[in-house]
Amino acid sequence: MGERENDEQNAGRIEGGIDAIVLGASADGLAAAAYLGEAGLRTVLLEAGAEIGGKIRAREFAPDMTCIDGDHLISDLDPETISDLDLYRRGVAYASRRINTAYFFDDGQSLEIEGDLINAAASIDEEIGGGVAFQKFTQQFMELAAQLRPAFEASGGGRGRQRQRALAKAMDVSPATARRFNRFLLSSGEAILDDYLPDGMLKTAMLTEIAFRSAAPAHEPFSFMNLIRRWAGETSGLQAAIAYPRGGVVTVIDALRRAVQAAKVEIRAATPVQQILIERDRVAGVQLENGGQIRAPIVIAAMDARRVFLDMIGASHIDIEFQRAVSAAKPLIGSGRLHLVLKGFARDEKTKENMQRRLVYTPGPDNLRRAFAAARAGDIPQDMIIEAIFPAAVDEAVDDDSRQLLSIIAHPLPVDVDAGPERREAIVSAVQANVERFAPNIVDRIEASDLSLPADLAANSGYHIEAFAARPGVMQQWALAGQVTTASGIEGLYFCGPEAQIGYGVNCAAGRIAAKAAIRLSRRGAAAA
Amino acid sequence: MIFPVEDFVADAPKPGPLFSAAASASEANLWTSVNGWSVARAFTSPVKEYHAAKTSAAIADLGPLARYALRGNEAAAFLARLTTAPAARLAPGESARGLILDNEGAVVDLAEVSRLSEELFLLTTPTSHARRLQLAARGFDVQAEDITDDVAALGVFGPSASEVLRAAGLKSPGEAVAASAVVRGVETAARPIQFGALPGIEIVFPKDEALTIWERLVRRSQVGPIGLDAMEILRLESGAPRSGVDFVSAERAHPGEARLPLEIGLPHLAPLDRGWFNGRRGLRQSGERADRRLATLLVDDDRALAGAEVRMGDRAVGRITSCAWSPAAKRVVAFADILPLSSGKQSQITVITPAGAAVAAKLTQTAESALAAAFRSAQKAATESVR
Repeated sequence: MGERENDEQNAGRIEGGIDAIVLGASADGLAAAAYLGEAGLRTVLLEAGAEIGGKIRAREFAPDMTCIDGDHLISDLDPETISDLDLYRRGVAYASRRINTAYFFDDGQSLEIEGDLINAAASIDEEIGGGVAFQKFTQQFMELAAQLRPAFEASGGGRGRQRQRALAKAMDVSPATARRFNRFLLSSGEAILDDYLPDGMLKTAMLTEIAFRSAAPAHEPFSFMNLIRRWAGETSGLQAAIAYPRGGVVTVIDALRRAVQAAKVEIRAATPVQQILIERDRVAGVQLENGGQIRAPIVIAAMDARRVFLDMIGASHIDIEFQRAVSAAKPLIGSGRLHLVLKGFARDEKTKENMQRRLVYTPGPDNLRRAFAAARAGDIPQDMIIEAIFPAAVDEAVDDDSRQLLSIIAHPLPVDVDAGPERREAIVSAVQANVERFAPNIVDRIEASDLSLPADLAANSGYHIEAFAARPGVMQQWALAGQVTTASGIEGLYFCGPEAQIGYGVNCAAGRIAAKAAIRLSRRGAAAA
Repeated sequence: MIFPVEDFVADAPKPGPLFSAAASASEANLWTSVNGWSVARAFTSPVKEYHAAKTSAAIADLGPLARYALRGNEAAAFLARLTTAPAARLAPGESARGLILDNEGAVVDLAEVSRLSEELFLLTTPTSHARRLQLAARGFDVQAEDITDDVAALGVFGPSASEVLRAAGLKSPGEAVAASAVVRGVETAARPIQFGALPGIEIVFPKDEALTIWERLVRRSQVGPIGLDAMEILRLESGAPRSGVDFVSAERAHPGEARLPLEIGLPHLAPLDRGWFNGRRGLRQSGERADRRLATLLVDDDRALAGAEVRMGDRAVGRITSCAWSPAAKRVVAFADILPLSSGKQSQITVITPAGAAVAAKLTQTAESALAAAFRSAQKAATESVR
C-alpha cells in the first residue's frame, strides 16, 4: 500500500490500545522508544520525516561518496544506554577509540594531545615542557568533571527548590565542596586557565575546546563549565575520550533502530503530529496532521522544545514562566558542516598516521573573540575553529583508493534562517581559507564539496532552527533542561529533545531518563488499577 | 480590592485625578504613596472614618490600583490563564475575585476580573503586572491595555453605599451585576466589589471628569471620604491580606518567602477544580501542604505590634505582619505569619510587645477566613464522597 493511500485510510481514525507514543526518531527518541518497548509497553514511534535518525543521517552528496550529517565524532555516548539496549551487540563498534588531537595554531605551530587525557601530560612534557602544569590541571578537573557527571544528567526531579535539591543530591558532594566548586561554576574559561596553564599553546588549545560548538566564548562568565561538561563525557569506557564509530555516527542510529525493532516498537515514518492532546492536565495522546488521533497516556517528545510546547501543546496548557523560558531568545550562533572530497590518497605511513588524528585549527584567543562578535552580528568570521577528520584514515571500513573525504565542523558561524547561494559560497570560502592555514594547497585538491548549515537540518527535520544552534553556557543549559523536562507539569508528558541534553553530540541519556520516568508512571498506574 | 504596601521611599508621588478634591477634604493632611500616587492616610480621624464606613458609608479613592482593559476573542481564556478568577464563566456585568499565581502555585498578587461585555474585561490588581500580561498574552488573541492613568475610581463602602449612589443619580449595581449610567454627561460604570470580604461598590469613570463625580457624590449624599488608615482597620477586621505587608509577591520573594494561597488564607480563591490557570499544576503538586499560615489574632494590648514575635508556649512560631486597633473588638487585630497550629493549643498564644512583655492573644475568625473554612470543608466533603 502506498504512503498516500495509507495516509488517506488513517485520516480521521482514532486509535486506542497504545501505552506510549514517542515523537521524533532522533537518537534520544529511538532510545526512549526502545526502553518503553523493552518494558512491555505497547509503543508507537512517530517521525514527521521520511527517515529516522533526526539530524544524523547518511547522504550521498557526490557520486559514490556518502557523508553523514550531524556529528562526526562521539564524545559522550551514555554508557547506561549502551548497556541497557545492548548497543555493542547491535552494531556499535569503534573504529578508533581514543583519537589524539592535533592542534594547529595561527602562528604555524602545532601541538598534539593524546586522546587518553590522563596520560597526555607525559607526551606534552617532551614536546613543550608544560606537562606538569597540564597534569595538575587535568587531574583536578577530570575529577571535578567525574563528580559532576550525574548532575549533567539530573535534568529531572521536580520544580524549583525540589530541582535544586535533586541536583545537589546528584552531585553527591558536601556543601563545603559545592562552595569550592562555585568558582569553577561561575568563572570564564580564560580566568581559570590563566591560573593553571602558563603555556600559551596549551592554554589556547583548552580555550578552543571551551568555545567549540558553544554559543559562549571562553572569555565570558560561566564558560569554564563547557570544558568540564566535555570532560565529564565517557566514550568507549574512557572519560573525556573522543571516538569514531566504525561506519560513522550513523551506525549508532542503526543500532538504536535495531533495539527499537527488537523491542517490538512500531515505527511510523512520514507521520507528522499536529497537536499533543491534553485532558485534565494529563496527556491523552496526539492529533496527527492527517486528522487521525492516537490515544495514549504517555507521550515522550524527542523534538525541539518550541515545537513541542508552543506549537503542539499551546499557551493554554502551559505556565507563563515556563512558556517564557521555552520561548526566550537564544543567541543564534551555530556550526557548519563541510564535507570535502579530495583527489588522491595518502600512500606513505607518516601521512596516514597524521591523518588518524582529530585535527583542530585554533585561531588564538583574540581572533576567537572577534569571530564570536562577528558571528553574533550575523557576519561570517574571518577566523574560526575547525575540527576535521579523515573518516578513511580512522575507519578501515571506508575503502577508496582514489580519493578521500574530509569531514569538517566549523565554529562559530552565524545562524541564517535562509542562507542564499552567495552566502553559502562565502561560508564555504571562509571555512576553506581556515582549513588552508593548517593544510596548505588543499583547495587545489577539492573534487566536490557539500555545506550543511543549521537551516538545512531544520528544513529536513521540521524543528525550529534554534534546535540546531550552538548550545548556550552550561548553566543556562542546566536551567532550561530542568524546565523542559519537568516544569510543564503535564502528567504523562516527558521531554528528551535537544534542550533536555547538557552538552552536544549523540548522547541518549535524556531519552533514557524520560523513558524510565514514563515506565515508572505506567507501573504506578497499573498498580493503582 | 486591597491596596498594596505603601512605597515609603517614593519621591514626589504623583497627584491622581481626585487629588485636589481629596486635598480640600483633608483636615488631617496626612499623606502617603501607593504605586507612586499620592493617597490620603486620613481625612479627619481614622476612627471617625471607620465608624462612618461601618454605620453609613464612606468613599475612597481607588485610583492607585492597577487597571487593565482586555479585549479580544480569547480575552476570557487569557484571564482564566493569568488569574484564578473564573473569567470564562462570568456573564457580562459580573465580577469575580482571584489570585495571580506563579508556576509553582505561589501567590504573585490578588486580582479582580469584571466582564464588561462578551469580549471586554476589566482586570484590577493591587500592583502593576504589565510585563506579566505581555508574557501571558503570547499565543492568545487578546489586546491588553493599561488604563490606570486614564481612569479614576472611587469605592463606596458601607451599608448605605447603594443609597449614596442613588442620591448622586448613579445607578446602583445589583448584588452581582455592574450597572452603567451617564451623570452630567460623564459615562460611569458601577460594579459590586469586595474590600477583602467586605462588600462595596466601585465607580470607574474617565479621569478628566473625576472631580465632577466626587463633588456630586459628596454634595448630594453628604458622604465623607475614608483614608488608608481607616481602610486598614476594615481590612484587618475582614481578614484580607495585603500584598507586600502580609505576604511577599512570589515575583519578588526571597527563598522561603513565597506563599501558597492556603498559606495566606485564600485557598477559596484558587480551587483546583476551576479549570486551567497558571500555577494550577504546581499547586496540585504542593497538595494540602501549608508550611506557614496567615492567621488573624486578637491581641490583648493597645499598642501597635507589627514585627512582634508570636509564641506558642515558649516556642516562637512567627511574627505579626500588620495590625491596627479595632474599635469593634476593642483589641488590636493583627495578621500573623505563623507555623500551622493545632487548634487545641490556641490558648497558649502570646505576642511579645516592644517592651518584652508577653501579651495574650487568640486566633479569631474573619469574614475571609470563614469563606476559606467553608471552602475547605466543602472540598473535604467532596473528596470523601468520591472515596
